[in-house]
Amino acid sequence: MERLFINYFETGAIILFGVGFATLLLHNNLIKKIIGMNIMDTAIFLFFIAKGYIPGREAPIIQDVHKGAAGYINPVPSALMLTGIVVAVSITAFALALTIKLHEKYGTIELDQIMEMRGD
Amino acid sequence: MKHLLLLFPVFLPCIYAILYGLIRFKGDTHREVFIGTAIVGNLLLVIFMLQSNPLPSLHLFRLDQFVDVYFHVDKMGILFSLLASTLWIFTMFFSMEYMTHEKNTKRFFSFFILNLGVIMGIAFSGNLFTMYIFYELLTLATYPLVIHAETEDALYSGKKYLIYSFFGATFILLGMILLYSVTNDLSFAANGIIGKLDNYNETILLAAYFVMFIGFGVKAALVPFHSWLPSAMVAPTPVSALLHAVAVVKSGIFAIIRVSYFIFGADILGGMKGHLWINVMVIFTIVLGSLMALHQENLKKRLAYSTISQLGYVLLGIVLLNKNALIGGLFHLINHAVIKITLFFIVGAIYFTTGKKSIHEIKGIGREMPITMLCFSIASISLIGIPPTNGFASKWFLALGGIAENKIFFVVILLFSAFLTAGYLLPIVVTAFFQGEERALEEKKEPPLKILIPIVTLTGVIVLLGLFPNIVLQFIRSIVGEII
Amino acid sequence: MISLAMAKSFPLLILLILLISAFIMPLVKNNRVVKGISLGTMMMAAVLSVITMIYVVKNGSFVYRIGHWDAPWGIEFYISPMEAAIGVLFTWVAGLILWYSLYSLEKEIPSEKLPFYYLLVNVLIGALLGIVYSNDIFNCFVFVEISTLASCGIVVIKDKKENIKAALKYLILSCLGSGLFLMGIAFLYSITGNLNMTFIYKEVAAAQYVYPNVILISVVLFTIGLGVKSAMFPLHTWLPDAHSSAPSVSSALLSSLVLKGFVILLIKILFRALGFTLVKELPILDLILILGSLGMIMGSVFAILQKEIKRVIAYSSVAQVGYIFFGIGLASELGVAVALYHVFGHAVTKAMLFLTVGAMIETTGKKKIEDFKGIGKEMPITLGLFTLGALSMVGIPILPGFVSKWNLALASISAGKPILVAIILISSILNALYYFPVVIHGFFGEENLKDRVYKSKQKPVKEMLPVICLSVAVLFVGLISEPLIQLFSLGLK
Repeated sequence: MERLFINYFETGAIILFGVGFATLLLHNNLIKKIIGMNIMDTAIFLFFIAKGYIPGREAPIIQDVHKGAAGYINPVPSALMLTGIVVAVSITAFALALTIKLHEKYGTIELDQIMEMRGD
Repeated sequence: MKHLLLLFPVFLPCIYAILYGLIRFKGDTHREVFIGTAIVGNLLLVIFMLQSNPLPSLHLFRLDQFVDVYFHVDKMGILFSLLASTLWIFTMFFSMEYMTHEKNTKRFFSFFILNLGVIMGIAFSGNLFTMYIFYELLTLATYPLVIHAETEDALYSGKKYLIYSFFGATFILLGMILLYSVTNDLSFAANGIIGKLDNYNETILLAAYFVMFIGFGVKAALVPFHSWLPSAMVAPTPVSALLHAVAVVKSGIFAIIRVSYFIFGADILGGMKGHLWINVMVIFTIVLGSLMALHQENLKKRLAYSTISQLGYVLLGIVLLNKNALIGGLFHLINHAVIKITLFFIVGAIYFTTGKKSIHEIKGIGREMPITMLCFSIASISLIGIPPTNGFASKWFLALGGIAENKIFFVVILLFSAFLTAGYLLPIVVTAFFQGEERALEEKKEPPLKILIPIVTLTGVIVLLGLFPNIVLQFIRSIVGEII
Repeated sequence: MISLAMAKSFPLLILLILLISAFIMPLVKNNRVVKGISLGTMMMAAVLSVITMIYVVKNGSFVYRIGHWDAPWGIEFYISPMEAAIGVLFTWVAGLILWYSLYSLEKEIPSEKLPFYYLLVNVLIGALLGIVYSNDIFNCFVFVEISTLASCGIVVIKDKKENIKAALKYLILSCLGSGLFLMGIAFLYSITGNLNMTFIYKEVAAAQYVYPNVILISVVLFTIGLGVKSAMFPLHTWLPDAHSSAPSVSSALLSSLVLKGFVILLIKILFRALGFTLVKELPILDLILILGSLGMIMGSVFAILQKEIKRVIAYSSVAQVGYIFFGIGLASELGVAVALYHVFGHAVTKAMLFLTVGAMIETTGKKKIEDFKGIGKEMPITLGLFTLGALSMVGIPILPGFVSKWNLALASISAGKPILVAIILISSILNALYYFPVVIHGFFGEENLKDRVYKSKQKPVKEMLPVICLSVAVLFVGLISEPLIQLFSLGLK
């Protein structure tokens, strides 16, 4: 239990991931699903960046003097997550575009209603 | 080069079949000459090939121990290939006439020729893998013949046939997998390949043998996997005669012989003590086949059930695992092929000339078609096994084999079933000759010559086999001597 | 004269050719030119991949550093015989499918969208090859996302109701999968500090005693994440909708290549990044084995219940992917090698099946299985090719389907699980149950053949030529099964 509090970044990330996951799976509204997807992605970003963060160190930007490798946090996760954010944004955009199309064709964005229209 | 000769009987029919499908024939004569050359030519090829010494063998292609298409001629293969290609010729003449009242003859003859090649492939397979390929091909290539009529009924029977066959093939595959995992080798060798292994897992082997026996038994119409055979009687009579009295069912039997004596070997099988269940199944096949034949009204169905029972005899000869029994079994394989094909031809001839199919319709037909029905009587008597016919000779050896195993029980079964055989065949003869009203001026309605000649010739062969069985028996003895 | 040593840079070159040429296409007005670019680049990629393959077989595996940065800072391509062979498979099958699409695609999608379609296909194949070649997990993730978007794109391009619905379903489930996958990377990174698979392998050996649970969690995340994308049962629910509603060319690409890319990635992570010895200790392989077996059976059962022919084939993919997971789950070298072989066999066979069915649907305008009764008389060549594919699926000897079933059975016996042989056999019987009726009712039956005119709907042989090439490929893959399987077990070491 104590470990959960010490690693509060990770704990928070996992809780957030759970929230996103549940939203994605349980909601019928497509927009809510996409929001859930985004929450999930954000949780992963948080988790990843928390892995690279070392308390008491600076962001890896050299000001005045180079403090040596021990002075900065791990820059790799932050860099990776930039890519991750780009990917997530593009997927969100695509999903939203599809949702608009779907609304044009079916007149609703509730998934259960769309599924009922399967017959025609 | 000499070994390449081996490929011709197997692949030439396939080429002929394709050519036959492609060529547009000017007239019936051209067509018939083409079929004739294909089939008679194949028999001559087989005979010519067998003259060469040593007997040819050929790896067509080989990737490893397993994927290895290997052809090899041995005496067992010779027996089967000669039997099949000879009977193919008779059937060819018969069907040229018979098929005139069926449609779609082009497809019929294409697949008819193709099947000859497939059967040759089974006969000359040098390992289980090759045999399995041709065995699957046989199912696929006979399917269009079974559903020839393309009626609802025919399609249903065809479906049944396919389902049973693939069920069987799956069992065979399972057996092959189990076997291969023990032996790493699937080639055929006299006395079996298992004996050469130092140590082996007996349970897996027993399971492998059992599933393979059932798998091949499906084609050999082993009870309780027989029910496709009577259904498949919707096919035209030549198909029923050739495929379901000779080619398909006998290839099942042939495969069981290969597995039992060329992969496992009699000693190993005898030592495994797994035979009780198989014996029970075989006996059920003999007795139930005969019992079910008794109350069939349709002539072809009656013969079909009779086939099931008679195949049981052959299987019995195989599973008793001693010399006399195997001699009897192999001899019965030949006898039954010749007799049953004759009986089917006659039933087909009756249908062709009069359109009658059931027993109660043929009252007094013996007076209209005396020669045909005389042949039927001779064939029936042979099948029942009254001395001095060939049926008697084979059953005699089977009985000797049973006694050698100290199991008088088998002899009793043989006798009982012989009575039943009489019970289902003789009524046909009696109905044909002695029932029905006498009419003053009977018009003779013998079938056309192309049908009558094969029937009479085959009856002649039956009589000859009965009177002089020794030539064939000697050959069989030499086969059996090598493998037990 | 190009020396063979240059082949080292070919994997990157292939990716660049495909990805750069992709974005030229929308700028070109003339559709014929677009088709030419697409097919031309794919053929170049195919040739280059063959040269790479020859090089790898001769000189052994090699590592290519992108931008000449050393690992672990730079991204690497690691090309072993396995990667090279899969690269050849992907480019050639994609090339043949594209060839087929030249004649048929315009009938399914509006012609102004054609350049975009070819754009997406080139991006898709480029991304899939990236997944296969790359040795960096995060790089793989990016390629996974690209391929997901592109494959959604080629489903939705038809612009019908059901396409949009299917694509959205596909997209949402895929995102779920990639979320899990990325989380898996995060966990693995947190204990190894590396993204390069070679380095992960070195680090994880030390980490496995300190953080056994973290490894387990990340492996489960990888398996489920990629399992969603590669339609592992029971995560396959998106597949039948997406594959059946898409244009036939897309279905062929999705079913034969896209699913396989993710499977390859899973294999690479499990056996290259984590290593055989480590993964064998984890319960994950048993889970994969069970899900694979379930997929083999249930996929076929669902396929039997379907009425539309494309849905049948789509469900059949679920079953066939089950075979691949089955092979992975056996946890033996032979099992994984056969799984990879099945990737090969299934890719060519399923591409052929989808294209032949596509041709039937195109000429008749019907979709239901019962509408295809008697089609064999109208389109004998097409149904003949379909029959070959069906025979391979059912497992007739020498065809690839049989080879993989046989070897899987042997592998499961040598893994001490002989009971699994029964599952393989049951599944192949089930396969027969849904493929044979199509063939039988197509070729035979008096009712079925009435009023049908021989060869009346046959497409010209020229248009069917790519499918005929695929059928030759099916036979070829069946014949060279032994060297292929050996190659794969070599690549795993």
